[in-house]
Amino acid sequence: MSYIEILKKPDVKNNLRVERAISNLTQEELAKKISVSRQTINAIESGKYVPSTVLALKIANVFGKHVEDIFMLEKKD
Amino acid sequence: MLYIHQNFYFMQNKLLLPHKWKRIGWIILIPSFVFGLYLIIFGIENVHLNARTFAILDIEILKDTKIFSFISTNISATIAGSLFITGSLLVGFSKEKVEDEFISNLRLTSLLWAVLVNYILLLFAFLFIYGLPFFDVMVYNCFTILIFFIVRFNYVLYRNFKKAGREK
Repeated sequence: MSYIEILKKPDVKNNLRVERAISNLTQEELAKKISVSRQTINAIESGKYVPSTVLALKIANVFGKHVEDIFMLEKKD
Repeated sequence: MLYIHQNFYFMQNKLLLPHKWKRIGWIILIPSFVFGLYLIIFGIENVHLNARTFAILDIEILKDTKIFSFISTNISATIAGSLFITGSLLVGFSKEKVEDEFISNLRLTSLLWAVLVNYILLLFAFLFIYGLPFFDVMVYNCFTILIFFIVRFNYVLYRNFKKAGREK
């Protein structure tokens, strides 16, 4: 695995967008619920940012699910 | 119980200025940037802003060295430079409207990026630019780290903001 590859891809997948659609929440509403900016939600959904443990827990809490149901470790090599 | 990641992000809370200073920073930064460009294009000697000012050290060609005294000199570069630095510090080191971990992370990453890019360019300049132009390089180098940081940070935010705007 090259340095460039590591830089580009966080190795966590998420289905945040799906969960949001199921619960009928906009990015703005979700952001307000967990006191972050809308940009953060967008960055997480686009796979550009992996949230901290605390934030992941808060997100899972909003949907009443376990963290692993929303954030999944990508299998590498 | 405070988590380690929250400590890192509370530390930024302590080091950064309140959000209102960002706007003040831009108000200082943009005119001083324009003024600085003007000085570069038209030359400092051609802008006659002379005043008496206090100098800790002043060594000029064909004049006595002055230490801790008042001197009469062209302060256009002084004004442009100090205002630009002050403005960029205010812009770069004040909080966003909503501070969260993503913004904190982005701020640190942008600083890293800016320092790296700045020094790669500077290394290039050391290796390939000689003589009088090198002095110009040294002068610009005073400001480029802050410029790169502010540009990088705001560019990523803007790009994200645009993307968020298209989503629901």
